[in-house]
Amino acid sequence: MKYILMMNGTKADFNSYGRWSQKDLEANVAFMRAFSRELKDSGVFVSTEGLGWPDQARMVRAAAAGTPVTDGVFAESKEFLAGYWIVDVENAEQAYKIAARASMAPGPGGTPGNMPIEVRQVMSSFADLGI
Amino acid sequence: MKYILLMSGTKPGAATYHAWTPNDREAHMGALRAITTELIESGEFVATQGLEGPGEAKVVRGEKNGLPVTDGIFPESKEFLLGYWIVDVTAPERAYAIAGRISAAPGPGGIPTNMPIEVRRFADSKPISRDEP
Repeated sequence: MKYILMMNGTKADFNSYGRWSQKDLEANVAFMRAFSRELKDSGVFVSTEGLGWPDQARMVRAAAAGTPVTDGVFAESKEFLAGYWIVDVENAEQAYKIAARASMAPGPGGTPGNMPIEVRQVMSSFADLGI
Repeated sequence: MKYILLMSGTKPGAATYHAWTPNDREAHMGALRAITTELIESGEFVATQGLEGPGEAKVVRGEKNGLPVTDGIFPESKEFLLGYWIVDVTAPERAYAIAGRISAAPGPGGIPTNMPIEVRRFADSKPISRDEP
């Protein structure tokens, strides 16, 4: 079963991350790299990506003329995806354990960040939509 | 440049989808599949994935006594990721155009859903992928 582990944050969260000391940032990145390596070694790793900052985010809607309508204005409370991991595990509990480890990535001063990680099962096929 | 096109919705929004007729759902998924096929043919396709409904979603924060701390209660307004496409394009405008097409996929009665699609570029740092030695 594949699960996606998502880190989300508001613009304010992204901005506070940008103010971490170089040392704190390096410790966090080193943790994330080691974490991905462990996932690979244990055979559950599928993929991981980090996203660009929310100030580049655009919301796109269809337009009658076929030209996309883009909008870059978002509510303060809007949660932006910061990055994700996809893992292939036996059950949900294993995915939660992995998410807990990601949540404990070090924050400022090396204290675990305790960041919320959203865990969702990924569909195996469109058949899951009842089609 | 890699972009991710994110389709999100609230729990009530996701529930609406299940009330569509089978014909409407088939037409919708058919349009999305056709977009994916076109992206594969143009060489811009990287990945696409649908997520299971928000009913099973959990948020995990750290550990207590060696166990993950999970929570399944979300505010009504919470936007859940429903699915995504990852595309590799030469300009952001192309990513917006693809997102516009996804947004134009037909909904109930064949009328375009006009669903908002969030377009985000991947961070510049080299992604760690399964293909890495």
